[in-house]
Amino acid sequence: MNRYVQGDPLLCIGCRTCTIACVVAHEGKRIYEIDPDGYDFHPRLKVIKTFNVSVPVQCKHCENPACKSVCQSGAIRVQDGTVLIDRDKCIGCKSCTEACPFGAVHMVPLGFQLNPDGTRRSVAHKCDLCHGLEGGPACKRVCPTEALRLVESEDLAELLAMKRTKVLMTASSPEINRPV
Amino acid sequence: MSNGVHEIEDAKLLFVFGYNGADSHPIVARRIVRAKRKGAQIICVDPRRIETARIADLHLQLKNGSNLALVNSIAHVIIEEGLCDDKFIAEHSSGFDEFKELCKKYSPEAVTGITQVHPDDIRKAARMYATSGQSMILYGMGVCQFAQAVNVVKGLANLAIMTGNFGRWGVGIGPVRGQNNVQGACDMGALPNSYPGYQNVTVPEIRAKFEKAWGVPLSDKVGIPLTQVPHYVLHEPEAKKIRAYYVFGEDPAQSDPDLAEVRESLEKLELVILQDIYMNRTAIYADVILPSTGWNEHDGVFSCCDRGFQRIRKVIDPPADANVLTDWEIISRISTAMGYPMKYRNTEEIWNEVIDLCPSFTGATYEKLEKYGNIQWPCRSKGMEDKGTSYLHKDGKFANPDGKAKFSSIDWQPPTELENNEYPLIFSTAREVGHYSVRTMSGNCRLLRNLEDEPGWIQMNPALCEELGVKHGELVKVISKRGHCVTRCLPTDRVKKQAVYMTYQWWIGACNELTIASLDPISNTPEYKYCACRVEKIEDQAWAESYVLREYENIRLSMGIDVAKGRKAI
Repeated sequence: MNRYVQGDPLLCIGCRTCTIACVVAHEGKRIYEIDPDGYDFHPRLKVIKTFNVSVPVQCKHCENPACKSVCQSGAIRVQDGTVLIDRDKCIGCKSCTEACPFGAVHMVPLGFQLNPDGTRRSVAHKCDLCHGLEGGPACKRVCPTEALRLVESEDLAELLAMKRTKVLMTASSPEINRPV
Repeated sequence: MSNGVHEIEDAKLLFVFGYNGADSHPIVARRIVRAKRKGAQIICVDPRRIETARIADLHLQLKNGSNLALVNSIAHVIIEEGLCDDKFIAEHSSGFDEFKELCKKYSPEAVTGITQVHPDDIRKAARMYATSGQSMILYGMGVCQFAQAVNVVKGLANLAIMTGNFGRWGVGIGPVRGQNNVQGACDMGALPNSYPGYQNVTVPEIRAKFEKAWGVPLSDKVGIPLTQVPHYVLHEPEAKKIRAYYVFGEDPAQSDPDLAEVRESLEKLELVILQDIYMNRTAIYADVILPSTGWNEHDGVFSCCDRGFQRIRKVIDPPADANVLTDWEIISRISTAMGYPMKYRNTEEIWNEVIDLCPSFTGATYEKLEKYGNIQWPCRSKGMEDKGTSYLHKDGKFANPDGKAKFSSIDWQPPTELENNEYPLIFSTAREVGHYSVRTMSGNCRLLRNLEDEPGWIQMNPALCEELGVKHGELVKVISKRGHCVTRCLPTDRVKKQAVYMTYQWWIGACNELTIASLDPISNTPEYKYCACRVEKIEDQAWAESYVLREYENIRLSMGIDVAKGRKAI
């Protein structure tokens, strides 16, 4: 099963430490460069705040990813339980952004590659679970309230067991109002 | 704070009043989240739907500026429903009868017009707070930054006394201070009325002690509070005027209320000395600038809001050619040049002098700070077994001469400048995560500027945005009686339609152009959380965008910054 990072709105305080950690993890030492164009500030998650919810939204690493299905250039692949985008193959058609039901794929301009009209070339961008980087997803590591977790198949199994037990307990509870 | 920050997670009920932990101190907010996970109930009192309100069992979304009316009303219900801790009141307090009398007129129904909170919710909050058995109050700038501030703190203390929520683990009242080490500044006597350790300058024995230790005669007069400096520069007679202003680690031309008045006084002053790590807005008015080291380039001791002393350690040497000194070295040299030779070899020597002169700090030696990491005062003995004091008022003993807690009977008073036809909205300052205080530190960190940058945002209810015809991200003009600024519109249903909010660090979206220098008579803290304003749509957005860029560049130019070099960074 593919893994994914999930935020808990009851624990999230909307501080966006995850947002900064994402950039730091992917840009590495480039963040120290004096040249303002020396690194890209393109977080791969977005903290959403509504009246009742604050939580980062990021890629679910779907088993049959809509983004991959619509990709015309073969830039999206699944590797090591992770949905990954190959920037070099991406043609910037935005189909994946439109297809993703979670709003987890967005377009970002690349540092120095220009289109023929002089504008910066944009590519599809999303969470890669810090693929190839040491220490696993940086967002999860830095969260001050431990609101983020990496969900693996055993976590889902545990969640399912808990839900099933809960349903069972409710159903057998004597207080429950049964339909007449 | 009467109790330690670490005790927050053990409280059975947290009463969070005018304190936005998630934006001000994520590390303290973590304790609130943990308390919730451990089963604590949370009551959040805030005009905004802040993060704590989301996870609270009860959110009292009161009208801005109605604090004491609500607090007294909660006390009214506690008395009316017989939820007081009568034994604690009888044994450990004074003044309850007068307070009981005052509370009579504060029924939830009587104050609902002022507070905009439903009477049932006030009753519910009072019951929850009084009956949890272990209730802790946390408050922040939503209490302190009003012209009626200290009296609201006293009102909150009334609630804790009448329910016996003092002198135990996980109870008490906690002012979660606005800045890191602001507690330290007060602890070390950077106040107009006290020497280090809250020892009053007007007490002869105390003055004699410090005169003996320092070998100089000392004044017995209380000094001038920071927020009264403009008044003393502009309006006092010649003989009483302030002529020179030595500012360090502070940016009054950005952080003080009514910036137009602050600028006028900075211009009038004969001498302004600024000691800081980067150029800031006050630097533009400085005659002398003393460059000092940053937080990671020097040693020292910080105190946390819960009275905890911690050592800070130097991580890196400042660049060899930077010609900077630590703050204490600069002060020593200035003092020596002015005829009082001041020589220390290191911060431990300074600290030893402090603790020997302050009985409540005496036990907080470097050795213990090193070994235990954190020592909360009072810590009176140097023996290793005295590890400080996590919570105050043990066994119901209070710092008044009779050892009892004193009830304060004070009526609610409305804010100074109310909304009106010309300025129909309430303006309040707020915080955001990532940018700290004025932008001296965080504004020079590129990653944090990537997160948020000039000219900042104004939080507005979507219905208000619609009424004014302004959209997310558009530049708008915000105007008060005293000044105006330009910032971006941020529609959010987390704020009510009657009030708007801005953070105060931005140079272009400088909201202290708007704020009012109406001071609390005791603390002299300005009413940053309430003045009247209006928001105007800017039709020519292209012009407004170029105005922001141009103004930002002009400010940088006036600081002597090579603008061409930084242009790409904007």
